[in-house]
Formats: sequence, structure tokens, C-alpha cells
Amino acid sequence: MKTTFQIDVVLFDRLDRHLFPGDGDEHGALILAGVVETAHERRFLAREIVLARDGLDFVSGKFGYRALPADFVARWSNYCVRENLCYFNVHCHGGRDSVGFSDVDLQSHQRGYPALVDIANGGPIGALVFADNAVAGEIWTREGTDELDSLAVIGLNRRRLYSEPPSIPGFCDEMYHRQSLMFGEIGQHYLANTKVGIIGLGGVGSLVNEYLVRLGVGEIVGVDFDRMERSNRSRVVGSGAADCCDWLRKSRYKWLRQVGERCAARKVSVAERVARAANPRVRFRGIVGDVTYLSDAQELRDVDFLFLCADSMQSRLVFNALVHQYLIPGAQIGSRVQVDKRSGALTNVFSVARLVLPFRGGGCLLCNELIPAAKLQDEALSPEERSRQRYVDDEEVASPSVITLNALGAAQATNDFLFHVLGLFDLSRAKSSYLMHYSRERIWRAAECRAEDSCLHCGTTAASVFARGDRASLPCKN
Amino acid sequence: MTSHSIKADVSRAIDEIRSAFPGVMLDIEPDTEGGAFVKAHEFDLGSQFEPARSWSAFRITFQYPFADIYPHFFVSTLRRKDGKPLGEGFHPNNQWQHPGGNEPATMVSRRSNRRDAATETAALKLAKVLDWIRSR
Repeated sequence: MKTTFQIDVVLFDRLDRHLFPGDGDEHGALILAGVVETAHERRFLAREIVLARDGLDFVSGKFGYRALPADFVARWSNYCVRENLCYFNVHCHGGRDSVGFSDVDLQSHQRGYPALVDIANGGPIGALVFADNAVAGEIWTREGTDELDSLAVIGLNRRRLYSEPPSIPGFCDEMYHRQSLMFGEIGQHYLANTKVGIIGLGGVGSLVNEYLVRLGVGEIVGVDFDRMERSNRSRVVGSGAADCCDWLRKSRYKWLRQVGERCAARKVSVAERVARAANPRVRFRGIVGDVTYLSDAQELRDVDFLFLCADSMQSRLVFNALVHQYLIPGAQIGSRVQVDKRSGALTNVFSVARLVLPFRGGGCLLCNELIPAAKLQDEALSPEERSRQRYVDDEEVASPSVITLNALGAAQATNDFLFHVLGLFDLSRAKSSYLMHYSRERIWRAAECRAEDSCLHCGTTAASVFARGDRASLPCKN
Repeated sequence: MTSHSIKADVSRAIDEIRSAFPGVMLDIEPDTEGGAFVKAHEFDLGSQFEPARSWSAFRITFQYPFADIYPHFFVSTLRRKDGKPLGEGFHPNNQWQHPGGNEPATMVSRRSNRRDAATETAALKLAKVLDWIRSR
């Protein structure tokens, strides 16, 4: 099982400045983390850092050069128990691209960590040691110890740290030759080792799926509960007449039409077929489900990037929670065609690609009022309740949807994913803003993102689920 | 009523209603998703109404505290003593639909358009709705 760590760029920069102020000396800190555990990976999620003050909280050691005093360790390990977080002791060494614990470090773990594991009700707890561009870690539980495989810094760019430079295979499939001329074999290797989630495999999600597979993404988890209909065929890439059971659905007999509805292909099946045709080596897992159910949402806890291509507010809330609770960078994509109700004339046509990154100001959909509380309530009603309680709003009608509008948002968001994963953004110029394309004006516009300290997803209060991982609940149905 | 399927946030909201309105009796029915149907007995609505007291019923859905709580339902016979219509926001001849059965009710719909999930509790929303009715 892999053991990894994720930390957002705002916390990491603070930690980095503290550990490496330019004096060449050793400095200390704590990371207090949530955790997500799946069959394949244990991933720690940095929620808070505590900077140990030199001479007060980080002092000359009895056994080694520096140490954290016992009362400091006791205070913060007890805090972690109360807050249900994992305690990590952090210090720095010299060097750049490789790092490891010294014998003195390992001996101090042996002396102190069995007691810390007990205080933490079995852990996990641990220690990290950083060099300028490297990190090593040791994780302790009652069952034993594990080494950290890698740490990811989540910002506009994704940065990876290892205990020593990883070996990258020198071979790149000719299928990816032209794109690897842009980002090299190492980029292709990173894509092949990336796991991506897609919520919704309709008009937008089917395009994202195709783009990801052709880029060479190694693993895709797609979630959709829906079946194909004839009216989807103009937008769902890779779909055909047989997927919609058109000949049955056009029958004059009701029972045959019903058979046609039941036999129509699932959208996840169409996506899987498209994925395997484009890249037979892709690991595609289609989930016939709905992320508003806990068991389906939990399948996305360990992805490296998450696309929201569904248009319900309930899915939007679950997506936003997954991004912030599990530190998963994501993108929400959509398009809207607004029509004057009286004249039928087009008033506004736009596509959106909203990057949602798990740090303050990273585009939280709650902070930016993109998940209306009233809509959430409305979507929870049964059809009977909704009909009874509707008194002002119009009857529900299908919204206009066009493949080219979907493609604008899907291409922008998937390109953002590519540049994020491979660290290609120019950080002196790029911002993590929302992008909107206004088709009638032929123009892209950016919208700055707000952040609220009290936000229950991205905020810093005790009530926030930020980076709590499995130790907080998702806003899903039981 | 069992409450084992009600989500922790929804249970907390119900406890807050009990604390905020001491003496008010609550009927709780879990929905199938982790939310709950709540009927609270009973509140003074003001002497301008007949009857002047009513129960209030509402549904707290599984995405609370992010989801708003509206509409609220009151006794079906609610009317103004001065004979004027109840007015905007009131919807007579509606139904309180819950697992135990549907009952005639007056619906009061007060959406919170810029709701702050961190501060607006179910108890606060109920208090705001009651204050609004009393001010009519």
C-alpha cells in the first residue's frame, strides 16, 4: 500500500519559509493532518501547521542537535486527539534533492513514538524530514512503521517531493510522441500515474473522458446513473443509435418502448468503450451511481483530480466537499444558454471552466455563492412535494445544450488539469480564477474568487471539514 | 420515533431547536436520506390571526446545514381576524406532506437567498419565520 502526503501551497510556503530561512540551521514544526485510507493508499492531508519557535519550542536536544520539548509535544498531541487529527513532527536537513532521517532521528522515534501512538489511540502519527527539494517520512501505528512514498504540494501547479529523485522509464509510447515533445517522457509518466474522477458522463463528461484518455491518463473513475437517450446523441461522444435502442423506443407499443428504455446503454458503458478504444491500457472504472450517495462519493476520495460535469446543486456540494475535505484539485464545467421567455431570442450564451483548488481563494464554490441553499432544498424534494410547493417558478423544462459550448468548457478545464498535473503554469502570470467564454462576444473573461474564513469547506474554523479526510462526513445521503 | 438514520448535522439541528424553544414538543420522522420531517407544537403567531396559535412543520434535508429550510407549514385554518387575505408569502390550501401522511396546511415560503451555512441554524430560521408572521 502506498503512503503519501498532500499539503496545499499556502501552508507549504509558510512551512518552507520557516524551515529554510537561509541560515543553514535546523528548524522544527508540526503538521496536523487528516487522513484517507483506501485499499491501495493511505494519504495524509495537511490541515494545520505549528511552527516551533527556535530556542522555545525547538531547543538543544539531550540525544541529538535539536528537539521539541516534552510539554510542547504533549500539548499538541493532546490537541490532535481532541480534533481527531494525525500528529507529525517535522524538521529539516541540508541538501537539495535527497534526504533521510539520521540514526539519531530514528533512535528518537524508537524512544518516543510508541507512547505517542498510544496517546493517539493507535495513530497513525509520524515524522517528516525536509531538504530543499525532498522529503522523507516515517509513519507509526500499533501495527508497525511505514515509509512515506511521496508528498504532493497542491497549488495552481502540482509539485512532487520524494526522498530521492524517482527513476523514470525512458520509453514513451509512440502514440504520445508529439505531445511528449512538449512535456517530455517524465510528463507522460506522470500522466500515466494519475487517477482522475469524472462526475457525470453526459455531454461535458464524455468529452473530458476522451481528452483524458488521449492524453494518456492512467486511471479514470467515472460516475453516472443515467442511460442514453436519443436526445443525448448530439453531445455524448462515441455514442451510436444502438446505445439508445432507438428502434425499440420508436415502437407504437408502450411495452416495447419501456423495454427500449431499460435496454439503453449506460453512459458509463459508452465512456468505457471510448476510453478503451483510445487507449487499451487505461484502467477505467465506471460506477453506475450518484455522488449524492455516500458509497459512490467515497469511490472518489483518492483521485488526484476531479471533474464535475453534472449540473445538479447536490452534486456540486458533494464535489466541493471532496475537493476541500480530501485536498483534491478539481474543475467544474458547464454551459448556459439564456433565452428571452417572450421573444425566444438569445440573450446570453456562455461556457464556464471553474478551477476549484483546495486552499484559501482557490475557488471554493460555497464562498462564491455558486451552491444556492434554496436549490439544494428544492432538489431534495420528491416530485409530489415539488409540484405541491411550486408557486412561482416555471415548470421544469429541458435546458438548451450544444456540443460546441460544452467543448469550450471541457477543453479549457482539461487543459488546466494538464498544466496543473505537469506543473506547466507560469505562476508569475497565471491565476486560479474562474474562466467564462461568452460565445456571442467571442471573448474569455476571468472572475476573481472570494474566500470566507467561516466557510465550512475551505475555512479555518474548527467546524470546517478542510483536510479532515475520512475523519469528517460528506454531505451525502445515508 | 427512531432517529438512527438521521445524520449527525440534522440531529444537532433538532437539538438546537429544542434548546431554542423550551417547552415546545417536537414530532420527528426520519426521511430515507438522513434528513428529518419535524413538527413543532406549538407557537403564538399573534392576536391578528385566528387561531392565534399553531404548530409549525418543516423538513431538514440531508445536506443541512448547506440546504435552506423552507417552506414552513402551519395550521390549515389560519386566517386574519380582520378578514383581509393572509397576503404575500402565505399559501393557503396546501399540504404538509410527511411519511406519516399528508395533512391540510397553510404553507409559508421564506427563502434565505444569501444563507450562511456556518451561522444560520434550523432554530434561527424557524425564529425568523415566526417573527415575520407576527409582523404581518
